[in-house]
Amino acid sequence: MMNRITNLPTLKIDPSKAVSLKYHDIPYQGCAGDTVATALYAGGVRIFGRSLKYHRPRGLYSLDGECSNTCMEIDAIPNERSENLPARDGMVVREQNVKGSAEHDKLSFIDKLDWAMPAGFYYHTMHKPAALWPLAMKQIRKAAGLGRLSPDFRQTGRFDEIFPSTEVCVIGGGPSGMQAALSAAEQGLRVILLEARPWLGGFYDYRTVQDDHAVPLYERGRKLAEKVSAHPGIRVLTHTSLVGTYNNGLVTAFRRGSSEDSFAERYIEIRAKSVVVATGCIERPLLFENNERPGVMQAGCAHRLLNTFGILPGKTAVFAVGHDLGLEAALDLHDQGVNIACIADLRTEGQNPDLLKALESRDITYQPGQTALEAHGKKLLTGVVLGSMDGSSQKTLPCDLLVASAGLTPVSGPLTINKGSVAYDAHTGSFLPDKLPENTRVAGRILGLGDPEAIEASGHLAGLQAAQDCGLDSAADLQKAEQALAELPGPEKGTDFVIGPVSGRKSFICFDEDTTIKNIKQAINKGFDVPELIKRFTSAGTGPGQGGIPDHNLPLFTALYQGSAQESVRPTNRRPPLTPIFLSTYAGRNHDMAKRTPMHDRQKQDGGIFRRLGVWRRARYFSEDLSCRQEVENVRSNVGIFDGSTLGKFRIHGPDCLKALDRVFVSDMHKVKQGRIKYTAMCNEDGCVIDDGVITKMGENDYFFTTSTGRAGATVEWIRYHTRYEGRDFHMVNLTDAFGVINLSGPNARKVIEKVVDQDISNEALPFSGVKGFSIGQNVEVFVMRLGFVGELSYEIHVPSSYMESVWDLLLEAGQEFGIMNFGVEAQNVLRMEKGHIILGQESEQRTNLLDVHLGFLWHRDKPEAKTVGSLALKQAEQDPDRLKLVGLKMQEAKVPGDGCVIVDESRIRGYVCTIRKSFSVDGIVGLALVEGPLAKPGSVVSIYEDECKGNLLKADVVPLPFYDPEGARMKA
Amino acid sequence: MVAITRRSPVVFDVSPSRQEKRDHWNVALEYPGEGEGPWITDLCHKDRWDVQDGDLVSLASDTLPIPEGYGQVALSPEMSVNRMNRTQAAVWHFTDQPGPMPVVSSFTETTEATVFLALYGPRVFAVTEKLTGLDLGGPDKKPPQLVQGPFSHVPCQIVVAAKSGEYPGILFTCSRGYARDMVHAVMDAGQEFGLRPAGEDRFKQWLNRF
Repeated sequence: MMNRITNLPTLKIDPSKAVSLKYHDIPYQGCAGDTVATALYAGGVRIFGRSLKYHRPRGLYSLDGECSNTCMEIDAIPNERSENLPARDGMVVREQNVKGSAEHDKLSFIDKLDWAMPAGFYYHTMHKPAALWPLAMKQIRKAAGLGRLSPDFRQTGRFDEIFPSTEVCVIGGGPSGMQAALSAAEQGLRVILLEARPWLGGFYDYRTVQDDHAVPLYERGRKLAEKVSAHPGIRVLTHTSLVGTYNNGLVTAFRRGSSEDSFAERYIEIRAKSVVVATGCIERPLLFENNERPGVMQAGCAHRLLNTFGILPGKTAVFAVGHDLGLEAALDLHDQGVNIACIADLRTEGQNPDLLKALESRDITYQPGQTALEAHGKKLLTGVVLGSMDGSSQKTLPCDLLVASAGLTPVSGPLTINKGSVAYDAHTGSFLPDKLPENTRVAGRILGLGDPEAIEASGHLAGLQAAQDCGLDSAADLQKAEQALAELPGPEKGTDFVIGPVSGRKSFICFDEDTTIKNIKQAINKGFDVPELIKRFTSAGTGPGQGGIPDHNLPLFTALYQGSAQESVRPTNRRPPLTPIFLSTYAGRNHDMAKRTPMHDRQKQDGGIFRRLGVWRRARYFSEDLSCRQEVENVRSNVGIFDGSTLGKFRIHGPDCLKALDRVFVSDMHKVKQGRIKYTAMCNEDGCVIDDGVITKMGENDYFFTTSTGRAGATVEWIRYHTRYEGRDFHMVNLTDAFGVINLSGPNARKVIEKVVDQDISNEALPFSGVKGFSIGQNVEVFVMRLGFVGELSYEIHVPSSYMESVWDLLLEAGQEFGIMNFGVEAQNVLRMEKGHIILGQESEQRTNLLDVHLGFLWHRDKPEAKTVGSLALKQAEQDPDRLKLVGLKMQEAKVPGDGCVIVDESRIRGYVCTIRKSFSVDGIVGLALVEGPLAKPGSVVSIYEDECKGNLLKADVVPLPFYDPEGARMKA
Repeated sequence: MVAITRRSPVVFDVSPSRQEKRDHWNVALEYPGEGEGPWITDLCHKDRWDVQDGDLVSLASDTLPIPEGYGQVALSPEMSVNRMNRTQAAVWHFTDQPGPMPVVSSFTETTEATVFLALYGPRVFAVTEKLTGLDLGGPDKKPPQLVQGPFSHVPCQIVVAAKSGEYPGILFTCSRGYARDMVHAVMDAGQEFGLRPAGEDRFKQWLNRF
């Protein structure tokens, strides 16, 4: 590791463990603990990619992912933030948004065409002629840089999620966040601490200056981190970036997994009673010409490159800074051998005198009231023009590193995203938290604090405040903590400097979108006079950095340019995700929770082709022949076996159960008898049919009923809702999954079932609409209903679910000599359609009432006591001749239109086809349709419009229903 | 000749190393490599009842201790009686041969209606937090306690049996049809913690702590 300084106590890398990655097919060697960007930087890479619009070279600027400068394609994933992503052995890295290479980009000439692309360029040029846009869009997208994702790319790795609950969630693992976590946890509360970096410590972890107790800050940070990590009440989630904060204490984040973790990325959804935001500050970029030239970087970036990663960021450095952290960085860099050519400080007062003395003792040139005006160098920095604030004096210094920083920007995104607000503070020259979201506290540098003891004290206070939010009475401790904080130094004086006397043509306020100061002026000149409008017109702050770079500079420059007060502006809104996150992480494990019937595996073995129908997986076909001819014909001529377990099944009991049934079912429920089943239906308040099924009486005040598969989940709530004001004493049990249902249908059905049951099952013993209990096999108790949904002799056998497979096998064995075979949902669909039986949702919709689908015979109009749901609407609708009516259709030609095709006349839609199939039972293409009343008369001819039919409408005759066995002789046999 | 067998909807990737036949069920007593926990045990063969009555307390007895407060649970090695709301309780039996269900219309046999699972052992709440936002291990939970809500997006009835000590654990039921996907989701969530299927013997050892 010749290119590293390995003896620094602040290092977070392990120089003894090498990590190898490839860039341009050249191996680069980093250390364990490196990010991809630091490993490349140590290997000499200075240009990491090209900018979005102008293809300007871009280099390492911050180390916290505040801009897209170091977005690269890593292991085929574009837009990875190489400065945040830990380097791992074998990674393959490519630059993005280049034609050629990052060093030699053939599109770099675009940088000279900036005059042709003013703010709002696209709005001006791409709308006339409109035909130009599709052509231009392709070319622009080719040239612009968003990375490229191969259509064949498949992301590997495990992405999962956790949903932890806690009392206090602390965002930020710096000194104030750690103190907040400790003080809340010491109150006995559970605390979750989120930190974006792979370690705790915040801005302590790389600083060598000493606190008031002569302890270097990095050591203080480590001690705090050890204490936090050892506390049983604190759950530390490092390498965890915030996605968003929301009301009711919802905090979302994601965690990047290390090689030891079981996940690649994990989504975290935290419910907290109180949230402490201790996110600290980022640096406010210094605005000058070519302020993003590779070689220009922020003070924290240079400082951390050295102290965290052991890398000298340059040989000869110039500093243009506006805060003491910049001076600290200069001292450390100097002490490790970097030639500090000059320090220009925006400030003329407020500097830490100890730091000034240290600079003087090292003979470092220090010039207060100076700033950088222009960076020189074609691709890389070669020199800098420093000057006074008004530009009256200037000098050029050669250098390969310019550390530039205007001031500090509190990271307030977690507050503003949740309806908190910030306001300009003249003392610090930044926007500080103003209005906080409910049960949210703030601590540390986000308050403008700079003194370490004050920062920690504010964390302690915030932890106690959070405890109070959680209902703990900590008034005495709070008062003490408030007093302690008040006695410590308050927010540090900052600078309100925004920009020196430069043209702004190449002074970039937003790196992600290549937005310059000149662009901002152009926008303002066009009347876009507030940051939110300027953002939209110039794109500033809309890139992957979420406005990290332009955050404070945009409102401050807007105010400066218009001569208005800084208090009149504020940073633009943030929106989740605050940090880019993979869609895979959002998706998580995505377990598809579906229900399976007890016969699922058996039907799969039998060749069942399954489809998801509502919450269930059901066998729709048993062959590749989607017309299901064999299945249908076997039921018509022989016997078929069908798994109907998905039917809703309910027990309702209690003194008032009949009153409840009368309320929701349209029929007279007093007529329901033991040993008989009654087909009936439920309507909604509009009289529209929402469910149908059969009901039977099991005993005194005790009934069993079935519902359609799709409505089973809503049945209990529906009945309770419609009896909610009547104080009825009844109870319901959902037995949908308790019983499997075997539907045995066909002329031979009786011959099969009589071989396995213990009693007479003749037509006399169990007639149509009868129900009876039987014993099958070794005393398996079942009950059997005589129904006829498919129009044949049918038995619906309700079997306890655990016995289902055995009983099914018994029936298959018994039916072998009669040619028994499976039929699926689609065959059932054809069979019942031929019989003219409807499926709710298929032959009904929100407009169709009970009468429209010919179920009016179910409606008992004169229930004396019950107010039947939908009854009033039905009475109003029954005289309306124009309503949609269910009709039978027979196609005039040999073409099957799709379900859902509309029925039209010359001017408008008159109805639609619900179900239509080739029928082998009636030899023709027949179906069910809903048409307007005047078309419903048998003998009418309707025209069916199919997609892509090019005006060739299909013709069908309206015919009487049912198509098959109109007398019902077969099902009643 | 078809042999009558009762089948649990729960399917694990491993077959039991020891099992016994009980009332047509094949009950797994032990699985190979059960490990140090956490464990999941299939309890679908255990009898379950639904009890609903306007005067629920009147049905309580020494053998059926129906708790008075909603969310309260009477948990013993023999059964768990979970008070769901004003008029409803669930009874989960753990014994091999519980007595017959009272012949009162308030009772409904629901053994077949649900999948019944026990999830217990070390780090069990690290598994559950991957499946639900319900704060099962939260300080407001006083085990045994009933929690009703989504678990892996499916409505469940969950009894937090123990949340601290060496062997925390939950018992839960949901609609039987979800068994396959529920077990898959739980096993997937528990993979990193070494979650393994365990037989009834281990479950009984755990249960006898109560």
